[in-house]
Amino acid sequence: MNSLEGLLDRPVPAAPVDLTLRRGAARVLMDNWTGASTVPSPALYPHQWSWDSAFIAIGQRHLSARRAQRELESLLAAQWSDGRIPHIVFNPAVAADAYFPSPDFWQSSTAGRAAGAPPAPETSGIVQPPVHALAAWLVHVADPAESRRRGFLARVQPRLAAWHEYLLSRRDLGGRGLAALVHPWEPGMDNSPCWDRALARVEPATAGTFRRADLVHGHPADRPTDLDYGRYVRLAADYREAGYDDRGARHGFAVEDPSFNALLITSELALAAMSHELGMPGERYTERAGRLTRTLVERLWDAEAGLFRVRDLHDDTLVGEDSVSGLIPLLVPHLPEDVVRRLRATLLGPRFHAPATELVPSYDLTGHAFDSHRYWRGPAWFNTAWLIHRGLRAHGLRQDAERIRSGFLEQATRSDFAEYIDPSTGEGRGARRFSWTAALALDMLCADHEEFRP
Amino acid sequence: MLKTAVQEQLLPGDTLQAKWDFAQQAGYDAIELRGKGEFHFASRLDELRRARKDGVVMPTVCVDMLHFLGAFDDDLRRDAVAQMKSQLTVIAEIGGVGAQTPASYGMFSRRLPPFEPPRTEEEDREVLLAGLTELGEHASKEGVTLFLEPLNRYEDHMVNRLEQAADLIRAVGLPSVRIGIDSYHMNIEETDPAAAILAHADVIGHAQVSDSNRFQPGAGHLDWHAWLGALHTIGYDGHLALECRLTGDPLEAVRSVPGFLKRSGA
Repeated sequence: MNSLEGLLDRPVPAAPVDLTLRRGAARVLMDNWTGASTVPSPALYPHQWSWDSAFIAIGQRHLSARRAQRELESLLAAQWSDGRIPHIVFNPAVAADAYFPSPDFWQSSTAGRAAGAPPAPETSGIVQPPVHALAAWLVHVADPAESRRRGFLARVQPRLAAWHEYLLSRRDLGGRGLAALVHPWEPGMDNSPCWDRALARVEPATAGTFRRADLVHGHPADRPTDLDYGRYVRLAADYREAGYDDRGARHGFAVEDPSFNALLITSELALAAMSHELGMPGERYTERAGRLTRTLVERLWDAEAGLFRVRDLHDDTLVGEDSVSGLIPLLVPHLPEDVVRRLRATLLGPRFHAPATELVPSYDLTGHAFDSHRYWRGPAWFNTAWLIHRGLRAHGLRQDAERIRSGFLEQATRSDFAEYIDPSTGEGRGARRFSWTAALALDMLCADHEEFRP
Repeated sequence: MLKTAVQEQLLPGDTLQAKWDFAQQAGYDAIELRGKGEFHFASRLDELRRARKDGVVMPTVCVDMLHFLGAFDDDLRRDAVAQMKSQLTVIAEIGGVGAQTPASYGMFSRRLPPFEPPRTEEEDREVLLAGLTELGEHASKEGVTLFLEPLNRYEDHMVNRLEQAADLIRAVGLPSVRIGIDSYHMNIEETDPAAAILAHADVIGHAQVSDSNRFQPGAGHLDWHAWLGALHTIGYDGHLALECRLTGDPLEAVRSVPGFLKRSGA
């Protein structure tokens, strides 16, 4: 259980912290707090996003355990009765055209009613990676007294358990036990080249039938292309027309993603820890994590490529693209040793060791589709670096973890908490004062990393 | 770590020196004095000088009277201004940084009958700007600061929120007038206390602490991490002065506060 403890350990306040960085990160989180949750970025993303909230809570716990708990509670309050946690919870006070696809597009309270969408608030119908149980556990251990006083774990544990049930039953589209994703936005890496092949089969929605709000605040060169966007819209509209019924829908897109499933495994272990804390049996989650780990390796490990790959359920084959998603399973504690060794080698090799950042590029630097500006087709993101840092620590690779940590903090400050980094130049791209970048910087600062100094 | 202070009436002991011994043992960094009317505070000058010589740290004084610079009655208002000027002079004399006062206390509430005050909002503003300017100029001359404290709606009808105090202070335009914030009143009046601290960071000069129920921090339900985190974020370097009622054993209650604030991110 040593590696599990390493993964779910309790943060200890570090003595010497960079006061300026700490203050800057805290200010971003306070500015972006809306009273019950945090917007990722007030202009570009003015609602509550599922995996953003989980990462934000992980940093917020160092600022206010109560706010961190509220962050997760407000997200879970919008959970559907089938267990799904929607990827966006819309703030009714924000103008309908501030973001596309808007509530009018998803129509969750009507189109999703049979699947279990709440009458209010309006949400999207798709999901994002299950970082939530891990986040809830880390929020709990940051202030167990406040957590117990508010009955935090007792309230969130059943909801998180239902969320995992949903993923492992209704989303087991491949029939082998892994959670499958039905839209490129679900793995959280919207326009990764990993989805190109599956997306090419999708007939795009006609231009002019939708209006992109992301281009109002974001630069077109940094964002997904219009053609891809038309396909995203088509897939979401088809899912909506099928009432968001996973079994009834004909999925034009269905993949098993290594990062999504690795996060599910880690969150299963967090559920086990939570159950233990609440005096409930947790073996079920530990066993399921073990089974999922074996299946993850069987189904998605590509020994030749030296990383995990996405499986396209259309023809049940691995997709020949190397992305950061394939490295995130480092987070899983009980991986075979040779897999960990190979992952580390890939991480340090020419495909993922960028010239201008210690963060990990979202896509193979030498790959045919690499684009240093465009969202998840090359840029390096702070949340994936945080996850890989955590994975390296879990496997005792402390020097590698420390290298990522120091690069992370340096670039978070210099870029004013950018959404992502150009791996070729080290320049910040996308939104600035981005909530999860600030939150995870705060976590990198405040969790105890003294022992990881080289 | 933010510094803590405790108001003198909360401490056991007959002298400031005895009170200081207790305060230090409990982990406080300073004592906040209380300034009564009729120039009582000035009459304590010898006592205060001796205490200072004995090493008692006394950065601030908080007014302890029943009429204030925003009084409806002209004579009371003039007296309040004279009292505050004297308190500013005395606190400067003993090496302190400033004196705290609300606009009024217990004079009128728009939430209680008869609901409509005898003065218009414009007249209130005029009176407050005149008083704050006179006191600010005096404070400036003495090298100290006047802290204007917003009180909750049931205790004062003129300055309830930080933005109202900040508006007056910006109109006065003197760096010798700042806001003295109080966690208890902010909890009642501010939509988001932490955000209010960030929004008015440039005019915050002093901070008093008590919990949601007016008892010592830790006895209520304030989100202290968020409130103190906001003060850290703006680089606040003054004291957190304990001004509250006490619940439980009074000495234990006073002793508990520095540790509680520290654990809450102070």
